[in-house]
Amino acid sequence: MILTRITARNFRNLADSPIDFHPATNLVVGRNGQGKTNLLEAIYFLATTKSFRTPRLASVIRFGESSVYIAGALRRLEVEKTISVGLELGEQRRRVLLINEERVTLPTYVSAMSVFAFSSARLEIIRGAPEERRRFLDRGIASVEPSYLDALNRYARILKQRNALLQSGSATPAALDPWDAEFTDAGGTIQKVRGAYTELLARKFDAIVAEHGYHLRGLRIDYRASSADDLRSLRREELRTRVSLSGPQRDNLDFTIDGRNASEVVSAGEQKMVVLFLKFAKLELFREKFDEPAIFLLDDIDAELDLEVLEKLLSRLPSKTQVFATSAKERFLAALEAGAHRRLTIENGRVAVTRDFP
Amino acid sequence: MTAPPLATLINELTKLPGVGAKSASRIAYHILKRTAGEAEALAAAILEVKSKIFRCSTCNNMTDVDPCAICGDPRRDPAIICVVEEAFNIATIEQTRDFRGVFHVLLGALSPLKGIGPQDIDVGGLLRRVQGGGVREVIIATNPNVEGEATALYLAQQLRPFGVRTTRLAFGLPVGGDLEYADQVTMAKALEGRREI
Ligand SMILES: [Zn+2]
Repeated sequence: MILTRITARNFRNLADSPIDFHPATNLVVGRNGQGKTNLLEAIYFLATTKSFRTPRLASVIRFGESSVYIAGALRRLEVEKTISVGLELGEQRRRVLLINEERVTLPTYVSAMSVFAFSSARLEIIRGAPEERRRFLDRGIASVEPSYLDALNRYARILKQRNALLQSGSATPAALDPWDAEFTDAGGTIQKVRGAYTELLARKFDAIVAEHGYHLRGLRIDYRASSADDLRSLRREELRTRVSLSGPQRDNLDFTIDGRNASEVVSAGEQKMVVLFLKFAKLELFREKFDEPAIFLLDDIDAELDLEVLEKLLSRLPSKTQVFATSAKERFLAALEAGAHRRLTIENGRVAVTRDFP
Repeated sequence: MTAPPLATLINELTKLPGVGAKSASRIAYHILKRTAGEAEALAAAILEVKSKIFRCSTCNNMTDVDPCAICGDPRRDPAIICVVEEAFNIATIEQTRDFRGVFHVLLGALSPLKGIGPQDIDVGGLLRRVQGGGVREVIIATNPNVEGEATALYLAQQLRPFGVRTTRLAFGLPVGGDLEYADQVTMAKALEGRREI
C-alpha cells in the first residue's frame, strides 16, 4: 500500500499537523537538525512499531511527554485504510495498534504496510554487535512471513522462563526438562527459518552486486546458528553461569572477506553500499512473495554512496514502489528528480510542500 | 466530581479482571438505576460466595459441598481425569457435554518468572489420585501457551512411572492462547483429537 498522509503526536520534533505525500517519490530537504530523519523514522515507526535508528523506543517520544502516537492513511487502487500506533511508556508499557479503528495483533498490524529503510545508522548491521545483525535478519523474515513474530515472541518467553529457572537455584533436571523441550522446539524453528532466509538473501545480494559490476572482493554472508547438539551436556556450565548458553539469542550473521570480518576490510563507503545492496535484496525477496507496492526509505544520501549505482538501483525498483529520500545536499537527490515527485521542506519539525513535479 | 460513595464503587469495580475505568463507571451507574432490592441481592450474592464456597478436597474445584457435584456424581467416570489450571476452566470443558470423566484443578501453571515451581501447584494431589489406583487416562488441558505447555510436559514426565495413559488436548488455538476463550466447537475438537504425550 502507498502512504498518502501521516499525523504524528509527540514524535521527536515533528509538528502535530498532518503531512501529505506523493504516491511515487518524496524528497525531504532542509538544513541539518530540522527533522528530515525524524520524518522517515516516523514512517518506519508507523509501519513496524520500531525505529531504524535505535532499539530504545523511549527516545522517539518528545522530551517531557509519556506517549507517542502516529496515524497513517494508506491507499491501494480503490482501497483505503487507516492505521495507527500508540505507545505509552511508564509503569505498564501499553501499545495500541489499530487498523481502521479496530485493535489488531502485531503480526496483522505490520503486514498492513511494508517498509524498507536505508540509513547510515544501519551500518551497525556490518560493524555493530551481533544483536544488530539478528534484528536485521528477523525484520527481513517478518516482512515475508509476519507470523514469524509470533515464533520470536514464543521463544523469547520460553528463554525468559528458562533463564529465571536457572537463576532461581532450583533448576533440577526434572524442573529443566519441560522447559528444555519447548526451548529446543521453539529455538529450532527460528533457526531453520533464519538459515533459509539467509541463503535466499545472500543469493539475491550476490546477484544484485554482480549486476551492477560492483566489486566487493568476495564478501560472504553466512548464518551461524548457536545450537547445542546435546543440551544436557551444556547444563553443568549453564547451572554455573545461570543463563542459557545456546539458542537463537546467540546466533550470528557473519559478513566476511577471506575469513576476515568485513568491517575490518572494507571502507565506510563500501559498508554503506553493502547495506544498500542488502536492503534492495530484502525488498526483492519481499516482492517475489507479495505483489504489493512497498515503501523504500533512503535516509541521508551522501558522497560516500556510489551515486551512479544508487541511480541504477532506483531505476530498477518496481514502478509502484513509493520512495522517501533525505539528503543534506540537494544535488545528491538529483538521481530521484527525473520522475514524478514531491519536494517537502522541513524546518524545525514543520513540513511544507515546496514543489510538485510534474 | 464524582460523589465519594460512587467513586468508591467504581474504584472497587476496576479491580475486577477485564474491567477498565469506562466499564466500571458504566456498571456503577447501572447499579444506581436499579432498585435497592436488586442491589442488595447482588451484594448478598457476593458475600455468600465468600462464606459458602470452598475447594473440593478431591479435585480443588470450587464447591459448596464436599466432594463437589462432579466428583460426587455416580454417572461420571473417575478413571478419566482432566487436568486444568484454574477452576473456571472446568466450565469451558463442561460446555462440550462430551466429557464424562472428572477433573483435577492445579491452581496455576509452572512459571519460574513468577517463582511458581511444581511444589506451588497441586501436582502432588494429582499424583496421589493416580497412585490410589483406578485411573486409566489423564487428559492434560492446561493453557496452550508457553507456561501451560511446560506444565503439561512436566506432568507427563511425573506420570510416566504410573503407566497411565497421558494425553494432551489438540488445540486449534493459536500459540499463546487461553483455554478460557475456546468456544464449544473448538473445545470438542480439542478433546476428540487429543494425543499421547
Ligand atoms: Zn471435586
